[in-house]
Amino acid sequence: MAEEVGAIVAQLDQARELAFSNTEMFPQVVKQILNLVNHPSIEIQRWCGLFLKKAFTSEPKEVPKGVIIDLAIDALVPAKTLAQTKDLEVFKAVIDLSIILYKLVFSYVADNDGSHAIWDSLRNLKNDLITKFDSQFPFEPSYDKEHDQVRNLDAKLELLKFLFTVIDYQSRSSSTRFYSLARVNPQHTLIKQGPMEAEALALLEKVLAPIQDEILVTPLVTAVMNHLAVVVRRKRQFLDRVIPVLESFESNSKLQSNYESLEAFKLSKKYCDRTLRCLLNYMSKSQIIPPAYQNAVNRKIATLTSRGDDIRKKNILEASPDDTNIKKRKYEGFENPSKKIKTLDYKHLYGLTDVNSDLNNFDLSTLPQHILVSMALTALQRADVKRLAAALEIVSSRYSEVVKGMSQVKSEAATGDDEEDDDDAAENFTSETTYTVPPPKSLSFQEKKEHVKMIVDNFFGLSEKNGDSQEIVKKQDNGSVSKELTKVAVKTWNRDSWLLLLTRLATRGMYTIDGDESSQDVAQNEQLSDIIRQALFDYFLANIHERVDTTIEWLNEEWYSEKVTNEEKLRDEIREKWQQKYESDPNSVDDMERKIEQEVASTPVDTPRYNKWCQKVLDAMIPFLEPTDRKIFLRMISDLPYLNEKMLSGVKSLCADPARSKLGFLALQFLVMYRPPIKEACFNVLRELQSSDQEDLKEEASKLLTKYGQ
Amino acid sequence: MESHKQLRDAGFEVSSFGTGSSVKLPGPSIDRPNVYEFGTPYEQIYQDLISQEYRKMYEANGLILMLDRNRQVKRAPEKWHANAAAGKFDLVITCEERCFDSVLEDLMMRMNNKSEEEEAKDVRQVVHVINVDIKDDNENAKIGGKGIVKLVKMINEYREKEKQRKVDEGQEDQYPVIMEDEIMKILTEWQRDHVHLPTLYSASYY
Repeated sequence: MAEEVGAIVAQLDQARELAFSNTEMFPQVVKQILNLVNHPSIEIQRWCGLFLKKAFTSEPKEVPKGVIIDLAIDALVPAKTLAQTKDLEVFKAVIDLSIILYKLVFSYVADNDGSHAIWDSLRNLKNDLITKFDSQFPFEPSYDKEHDQVRNLDAKLELLKFLFTVIDYQSRSSSTRFYSLARVNPQHTLIKQGPMEAEALALLEKVLAPIQDEILVTPLVTAVMNHLAVVVRRKRQFLDRVIPVLESFESNSKLQSNYESLEAFKLSKKYCDRTLRCLLNYMSKSQIIPPAYQNAVNRKIATLTSRGDDIRKKNILEASPDDTNIKKRKYEGFENPSKKIKTLDYKHLYGLTDVNSDLNNFDLSTLPQHILVSMALTALQRADVKRLAAALEIVSSRYSEVVKGMSQVKSEAATGDDEEDDDDAAENFTSETTYTVPPPKSLSFQEKKEHVKMIVDNFFGLSEKNGDSQEIVKKQDNGSVSKELTKVAVKTWNRDSWLLLLTRLATRGMYTIDGDESSQDVAQNEQLSDIIRQALFDYFLANIHERVDTTIEWLNEEWYSEKVTNEEKLRDEIREKWQQKYESDPNSVDDMERKIEQEVASTPVDTPRYNKWCQKVLDAMIPFLEPTDRKIFLRMISDLPYLNEKMLSGVKSLCADPARSKLGFLALQFLVMYRPPIKEACFNVLRELQSSDQEDLKEEASKLLTKYGQ
Repeated sequence: MESHKQLRDAGFEVSSFGTGSSVKLPGPSIDRPNVYEFGTPYEQIYQDLISQEYRKMYEANGLILMLDRNRQVKRAPEKWHANAAAGKFDLVITCEERCFDSVLEDLMMRMNNKSEEEEAKDVRQVVHVINVDIKDDNENAKIGGKGIVKLVKMINEYREKEKQRKVDEGQEDQYPVIMEDEIMKILTEWQRDHVHLPTLYSASYY
């Protein structure tokens, strides 16, 4: 591999000489290099990155602009590929390359509306690099956000260039001197003004973040300030955002980082203040500060100048009474985050504080058990979940490392001289031996019934406890971990969740795929399901008026499950029939699938189980209806998924009852108006009533029949 | 120029510039300096001063010696603001706060003053600007020059020293040593040993 890479690099060096000395060969060489970025060798990827950066930043003058743009378009995907390489040198080269590609391709797309694929590639590359500004790429993040803030600055300083380039191109400029969004056709279908400007503003917020942070990362803060010189000159529309941020920058209110000494912090403040003053002076001389801000900016400059004069007169590294005003940022990392331990003991395995801390020498086993338990529980309750998870990850890595080492030791010992005892042990152990847990004993049908009843009782018990949910949450307010667990549980459980579970259990959970009705298993499962259904029915009976909604929900679930199941069964039967017909006489069956669908659609699908339970519900409900129950009854008959003539017999009995006939006729009228499939059945009921010997029934029925279509 | 000489003698690749509008050298009195355009060869300045009637004064205050040194280092004084032909630098060291401000402002100006064609194919480069405040006389220039050489050496050698320290202390951190991450430590360490040479620092681009 090493020799191969060396040979390739030698060839690549020749190719580079050729490309830059012979203009005609340049495009071909570049294209060949673009194909090479996927090579697994980091060295070759680095070579490609540096070559492409040079190719696009200092290409030979004789190469036509159009050729460069074509190559830039071809380079978008390879650039994104290289951007995933975890190597700082490659990454920096890719950033510079991407800046050029972005400028070239953006203006190309602007001039060639409809370049969807090219625009997508450019956006993918852009979004990838923007995302990396908030990460530690090309390195791994540590366990402390602050630690990550103060390092990998090389990559971040480079990425700032890309972010500022995107801000520049995606927002309008105050002048027409440089390329900007202002030059893009407002009707462009891909580069839309609004979203582009909005994204530029969002990126501006991102680059302003280091200035507003609570600590000072001096290279980053000063780099942002210096770079803002471009934004403030070209994008006057952003001044309303930038100037307040600069004005409110106050180094004396920043916190000292845990990763810098007090002396370094003092120097940091001095450096950042000086850079800010330079920027504000530059803005002032350029006459770009709006009148509304001029007084504030002048005051800021005066303050910074005065502070600088004071500093010049003394040695700021010396201890000073002012040092007491300096506060440190709260430490959130681990003092000892190493994933390898040198000493094999529990202290080093679990210790995340300073290895040399005296606290680590305290012997906790001298404390009484109940105090230890109390301390542990309190600590767990207070621990931040993410932090605890990170800590456990460190301990886990250490443990894995140790175990790995120990297993190696064992394997070494295993290769030593064997003794008789070892031989005996080896004989007893066979690697092919697999141990299995015996299968669980099958439940008898009677036992199954008892378990189903137990489950049902538990669910109904749960429904009685709905009122306690809030109490449960409140009781755990002090413990964050417990609170989180309880909160999660409660969030997934609401007042009617128990109904949904029982309903699904009855209608689907007990269902057997093999639908042989004569099978004993099917019959037994049906009995088990009916246990649940009877429980739901009894629940409805206990309080009809308040449980109409839950019952409607159950019956809808019943109908739907049965409908889907039976329709599937019907389709299978019809398909089998047409299959046989096709096999006996292929010519007589021209389009089998269409015929199957036609027959399925024209064949009624019955729901006898639903019909049975729906009938029971109506029969149980109607005798107890009062004239004032109009609302719940109408809701019931309007929301039930299916009604037939037999079910309407109950309504008929309502009409015959003088005290409730109004409710009965109102229900029939409602059904005629709003449930066309049942209209004919309603008319039949009305005709029966019309032929009765009671004059008032006859009259009311005739009226409805006349009005609604007879 | 003293720093240029010492850095060059120490083996670094170095250029030097002035930030004023012209080259000013002490004259017969404080209100009558000798003024030359940037680009005037040191040899010419040297000959001009030698031919003046105040030659003895110039020899006494070290001016002649300084010019003799300068012409050995390079041909002529160069103006910072017109140094585009010299390429871009990683590190710029100034010796006076006014010069530091002037350089930062010039870098801001350059980012905004490229032609459109230059802008379209330009990739800005990070540059670290450090000011080491040196009093403007011969003796302090020598002291400051030594300090600057020390600082540049520390920046250059910090990576190796830090790597060695990590090995000695047994740190398994695979994180590399990045100069930008360490610049504040370097400056703090250097400043502690050179309290009489106050510093300024800023990261910029051009």
